[in-house]
Amino acid sequence: MKTIPAVFAYTFKEHVRHKAWLSSALFGLVLLAGSLVVSALAQDERARLMLDLGLAAIEAISLIGVVFLTVNLILQEVESRAIYLILTHPVKRSDYLLGRFLGTLSAVAVSMAGMAVMHAVLLGLYGGAAPGRYLAALACVLGKTAVMGALSLLLSLALTSEAAAMAFAVFLWLLGHFSSEMRFLADRSGSSLLNTTIVAFSHAAPDFARFNYRDFWHQPAPPAEWLMWTAIYVFAYTGACLALSVQLFEQKEF
Amino acid sequence: MMRLRWLGAAAALFVLALFAGSRMRRLHEPRFPSLSELKAGPFAFQDAAMAAAGFRAPAADLAWIQLLQYAAGGVPELPDRPGHPYEHLANLSLRVTRLDPSFHRAVLYAAGILAWFHGIERPDEAADLLNEGMHRSPEQPLYALYLAALAFKKQGDTDRMVALLESSVDLPDTPTTMKAILANLRQSRGEYREALALWIRILDNDRDRSEHARAKLKIVELKALLARPVPKKR
Repeated sequence: MKTIPAVFAYTFKEHVRHKAWLSSALFGLVLLAGSLVVSALAQDERARLMLDLGLAAIEAISLIGVVFLTVNLILQEVESRAIYLILTHPVKRSDYLLGRFLGTLSAVAVSMAGMAVMHAVLLGLYGGAAPGRYLAALACVLGKTAVMGALSLLLSLALTSEAAAMAFAVFLWLLGHFSSEMRFLADRSGSSLLNTTIVAFSHAAPDFARFNYRDFWHQPAPPAEWLMWTAIYVFAYTGACLALSVQLFEQKEF
Repeated sequence: MMRLRWLGAAAALFVLALFAGSRMRRLHEPRFPSLSELKAGPFAFQDAAMAAAGFRAPAADLAWIQLLQYAAGGVPELPDRPGHPYEHLANLSLRVTRLDPSFHRAVLYAAGILAWFHGIERPDEAADLLNEGMHRSPEQPLYALYLAALAFKKQGDTDRMVALLESSVDLPDTPTTMKAILANLRQSRGEYREALALWIRILDNDRDRSEHARAKLKIVELKALLARPVPKKR
């Protein structure tokens, strides 16, 4: 546990100094400025478009960033053989993995916060958005990013191929937004075996559709208790993926 | 056994995630129609791809811009047959509302044009749209109000229809186009003073920015009409 902060700080600095992180943050800012232009076409719904497109841009950039960074997080160190040097030090494998993950997630969260500040300023020019709800939407985006990051890390360790891990990560992202469709399919399927399989799949996949607050912002707001259970879901799902990743990483022989 | 402790932790956390997920679902259910209900047409792929990736609200926003482009002069993918203006307006509006039922303005805007726009007069299509809107978002009061106004229109009771529509002018969801239609309706009935008051309200409202240029012209026109001497009755 003592070595986690050191690995965290080293990972965070590594990402923030990386050109890919900076360019993705800049691209996010360009997308936000783009939402300003596109929303000008929306007549009296300008504020709504700026809110939706801005939050979508923040989420898309964060998602691409976290998947790209976590998939390469361990695999690149294995390829460059830098991992041998690190693991010869008194660093537990679990501490190393957790520190690396938390450092990456924090770097993505910082770029997300930068984009959110600019977005909030732009929204402020056109009437603004309820601060509480905006923070809740951002927290849900961060939650989705954390779950996707943990899943990508697990996939990269299980598949040991960057391309395959990224492809599966995108597949799971889509599956996570299909949870209600999958349950609908399960209800309609005649066979009980098929029903059980689909229901099992829908439970195993992350349930992104249910905490896509950004998408159902304009619908009646969920109760505060919902936000608490969403946070528990995110922590538990991310934790489960990280625990599996540690299990795989500890069994790996370098 | 120690080697599998992380596996045990993962299983325990996964069970907790399942429990939290079921609580989450019980407390709040997002109200989105299923993907199979999305409108078929030239934009179906765009809609399905965005909805599948969890971007339904931005997909509805883009669909709204395409609806406005169509209403402003047409889009190449959906040409109108000669003599059938705004042929695809209802479908484009349904496309928006099925992507995101909370986008009330798309339904209200299209229903307003179909029911009250000069030279269109397709109130049945407007009523169908409003009924679907009401079914998906019963909490929106304007759907019921517009349906009632449509009923008055069908009965030929224009006074009550106009009064009912005017009662909704200051509601935040009333489309600017509907306010403009109402002002024109007043003007066509010779009620210049009421029409002028409506255009002034449009000009004073920041949300109605898209009609401000027309409002300025209309105010000048109506003031001139009001300043004209009333012809003496013999």
